[in-house]
Amino acid sequence: MSIILECNSLTKAFGKKRALSDISLNIEKGKIIGLLGPNGSGKTTFIKLLNGLLTPTSGEIRVSGIQPGIETKKIISYLPEKTYLNDWMRVHQIIELFCDFYEDFKPEKAYDMLKRLNINSNDRLKTMSKGTKEKVQLILVMSREAELYLLDEPIGGVDPAARDYILETIINNYSANSSIIISTHLISDIEKVLDHVIFIKDGQLVLTSSVDEIREENGKSVDGLFKEVFKC
Amino acid sequence: MLKKLLKYEVQATSRIILPLYAALISLAIVNRVISSIPILTWHAPQIISMIIYNMILIGMFIMTFVMMIQRFYKNLLSDEGYLMFTLPIKSWMHIASKLLISMMWMVTSGIVALISIFIIAFDIIITKEFLHASVVFIGDFFRYFGPLSGLFIFEILLVGVVGLASMVLMIYASIAIGHLFNRHKILASVGSYIVLTTISQILFIIMAVISSYLPTPRHLSIANDLHGVEPIIHYVLWFVIIFSGILTSGYFILTNYILSKRLNLE
Repeated sequence: MSIILECNSLTKAFGKKRALSDISLNIEKGKIIGLLGPNGSGKTTFIKLLNGLLTPTSGEIRVSGIQPGIETKKIISYLPEKTYLNDWMRVHQIIELFCDFYEDFKPEKAYDMLKRLNINSNDRLKTMSKGTKEKVQLILVMSREAELYLLDEPIGGVDPAARDYILETIINNYSANSSIIISTHLISDIEKVLDHVIFIKDGQLVLTSSVDEIREENGKSVDGLFKEVFKC
Repeated sequence: MLKKLLKYEVQATSRIILPLYAALISLAIVNRVISSIPILTWHAPQIISMIIYNMILIGMFIMTFVMMIQRFYKNLLSDEGYLMFTLPIKSWMHIASKLLISMMWMVTSGIVALISIFIIAFDIIITKEFLHASVVFIGDFFRYFGPLSGLFIFEILLVGVVGLASMVLMIYASIAIGHLFNRHKILASVGSYIVLTTISQILFIIMAVISSYLPTPRHLSIANDLHGVEPIIHYVLWFVIIFSGILTSGYFILTNYILSKRLNLE
């Protein structure tokens, strides 16, 4: 099995504050991975390091054996936790932009999903609600045939009906070659789709394990274990 | 890839700047029409339209400048940077596309301003005289400088282009340095700008002093007509071109290093 994600004593500090310290892990290809932890545990920092939006303070990170750069950006499809699209563009213009820059972007997939979620491709992002913007971003991200999808809080701001559709979309797009990392604290909603989980707390790696192992060894659901590990 | 980036850069900037150009030209026409109507007793419309015209003119130049900063800062180093820096594109292309389009708008704004002034002041007789004088001047110019006229024009254009690029890139470099700070990024950018300006000026003075001791141009400084001074003009122009060129490359390399190796988007 080849490795999609590899970290060696990865550390990221902002000034004196350590957002991530000494994370080492290897993840195999072809899995849906839950990156779980309470607010402020370093989930977003971890994902941004994978994307090259942040530079590690020390240690290293490799995606498919390569350090973050042009080659990893070609194979990573990233959904940030904030709106990164400028509000004056129309949806179809953004789709054209993605077509222009990502070779693996499939516009027909995007238009199909827009139709399913009743979003007009002529609308400007300015006129959309926060939830609709999040849906547009998720559609863009899932319309790529990437090797690694990084989804930072993909279901946080959308209504339950759309949440189900989104999870369905994520699973349907998932092929044997691709891997998905989903960061969230809403575990019960996504537990059924996860193969592997990474627990982080205060920037430290608490646990990395397959979901089956958790169920066998602890006799607990991931949600149950999460509540136990992160008990306040 | 650079071509595609340039396309999106033009798309993002033209929607702001083109309406301003249209407003300026329209106001120039309005001014022209109003001033040609012989109202002797009441000057208010002329004065008001002239004030609005001037405001738009100033606003256009300010906007051209603000847009240059804003496109770099907002599109690359704020939330929009999440998209720009996850595109599979080298960071020097982002800098180059922003630089080229900013320079393009600066030149265009200057041209549009001249056109609007021309519309307001257009007068057949004066224009004829002006054109005549220009033809005479250009003729004189070529006669005077002979085969070197082309070189002269080339040098002056180069000074303009390099000067503009160095101004823009110095601002980009300052913003990039400010980005390295964990807090007070804008304040740090302003501080970096002051430091960079000071360093550039000190370097310029040092270079100027050193070059004044170089043997070549010295015997020329006693010349007392234009032909005698000509080599000195070339010498000074090339000094400015090479000096600004080196600084410009320095700013570019610095900005690119920070964006590619020290990126930390919040």
